Amino acid sequence: MNREPKEYRRIAVCGGIYNNYLALEAALEDIRRREVEAVFCLGDMGAFGPHPDRVFPLLGEGKVLAIQGNYDQSLATGLDNCHCGYTDPRDNYFAQLSYEYTFRKTSHENKAWLGKLATHRRVKLGQYRVLMCHGSPRRTNEFLWESTSPNCLLEKFCRDFETDILLCTHTGIKWHRALDGYGHIINVGTIGRPENDGQVHVWYTLLTAGDDLQVEFIPVRYDHETLAREMEKEGLPSEFIETIRTGWWTTCLEILPAKERARGKY
Amino acid sequence: MTIPTAPLLELSTLWIQVTGTWCNLTCTHCLNSSGPHNPWLKSLDTDMVIRSIKEGAELGIKEIYYTGGEPFLHKDMLLLTAHALEVAPTTILTNGTLITEQVADHLAALAQNSPYSLEIRISIDDVDPEKNDRIRGKGAFSKAIRALQVLHSRGLLPIVTATEILRDELPEGSGMYEQFRDLLLSLGITKPRMKIMPVFSIGRMEGEGGPLLTPEMLDGFDYSLLQCSETRVVAEGGVYACPILAGLPQARLSEKSLKEAFKPCDLYHTACVTCYETGMTCKN
Ligand code: SF4
Ligand SMILES: [Fe+2]
Repeated sequence: MNREPKEYRRIAVCGGIYNNYLALEAALEDIRRREVEAVFCLGDMGAFGPHPDRVFPLLGEGKVLAIQGNYDQSLATGLDNCHCGYTDPRDNYFAQLSYEYTFRKTSHENKAWLGKLATHRRVKLGQYRVLMCHGSPRRTNEFLWESTSPNCLLEKFCRDFETDILLCTHTGIKWHRALDGYGHIINVGTIGRPENDGQVHVWYTLLTAGDDLQVEFIPVRYDHETLAREMEKEGLPSEFIETIRTGWWTTCLEILPAKERARGKY
Repeated sequence: MTIPTAPLLELSTLWIQVTGTWCNLTCTHCLNSSGPHNPWLKSLDTDMVIRSIKEGAELGIKEIYYTGGEPFLHKDMLLLTAHALEVAPTTILTNGTLITEQVADHLAALAQNSPYSLEIRISIDDVDPEKNDRIRGKGAFSKAIRALQVLHSRGLLPIVTATEILRDELPEGSGMYEQFRDLLLSLGITKPRMKIMPVFSIGRMEGEGGPLLTPEMLDGFDYSLLQCSETRVVAEGGVYACPILAGLPQARLSEKSLKEAFKPCDLYHTACVTCYETGMTCKN
């Protein structure tokens, strides 16, 4: 593809949705009031929450430009697990429960749609070149946590992938680092799950190009109690529901590096 | 027979075998036969380690691991930890026996001052002290437990590394993982972290030969499943393919620089079969 990437001045970027259609709805409504030129999603529509098929119409109505996450890839190709990249047996056990649920409840059409998404996207934001990916530019399911992403690696990514701004998700916790010289790495957080800080809201990211790059993390409050009740009705694990109600992670904990793990409750 | 090779797809993990095979314990399953007397691989000079970290940074690595032997036998281990944490997230593989309150205070301060995570991995092989010490030596269990507690009380969240050496002695139906989790919770370690490793036919467990990988087995194989596709080890004598074969002449890829070790490595050892079958990695 040698088409010039499209240029914007102000965009909104969402991370993993994880079936949380209520949070997505609330986020899109918030975004509408903020005069952005486009809305992007960095993949992982499914996982964790209830009723996967309710996410897709919202993405269509909101004209969300999506790329493919590891979950989307797995669902689209009929793999037997989510390829989230967990290594711990307890983490894998819970990941498998939500994957099987999501696989069963996602329609053929939606799986096919996920299969057609690209894994990367390039745009321009003012003078900046932007590269969007799911985990890292080199691997869809690589985790880029704030405390395990050294500057030397991030600089290499910017160099090798010829970008000024690198956007990713996959971990579930947002962060931003401006590199000396040039380059910004932004993990945009996720819409699907609160970020293990005891707060029930979720986050998306607003980017505005001016003389400098402006990065704003926007909290999104939504009807999390309704989501929790629907998860109960769908028979999803009580551990997941606790996370929605309390903002503390109860699963996928072993993948957290020491610093991020220390900040959580479990 | 042709020996198959694995390409280096990227250099992400830099291992530093900082004390060679010098250790204060003599575990029966040690994969590089470490011990207190006449280690067959010597410790690295402080300057040499600092140079390797610098080269790693220039090459854009993602993380650093210190191993040995027992890393805390190195006279400059805290200084070297500080150097590593300036560049990248760092993990130390230790038996825990030398982690005193003072060492733990130092480590906690280093972790606090770095933007990157410091992980301390403590080896224990069984939740039963007597069984553990049969493998790891008398008193090893209680010292390791004490290390877990002094680290935990400083917010350092150590990871317990266990090998499957005593797996067959487990009572029916009880998993190793659950046993360790329960042990850690009972010690008041509220964020129990675990890593379970297979035993390798190497070092003190090296048998008589054993199966080897063939080029046919690797036909169409995804090399990214082997850690030698993304790691290199600095140890006495040069740069080696992976932490399991570090120090062995056939696994040596360069005498000096990491950059020179950007080439395929021979999958010549029976240990390679374990990697091939389990996809395991020595990383966290
Ligand atoms: S032991 Fe494993 S990691 Fe090392 S060279 Fe053999 S296959 Fe690669
Ligand atoms: Fe993901």
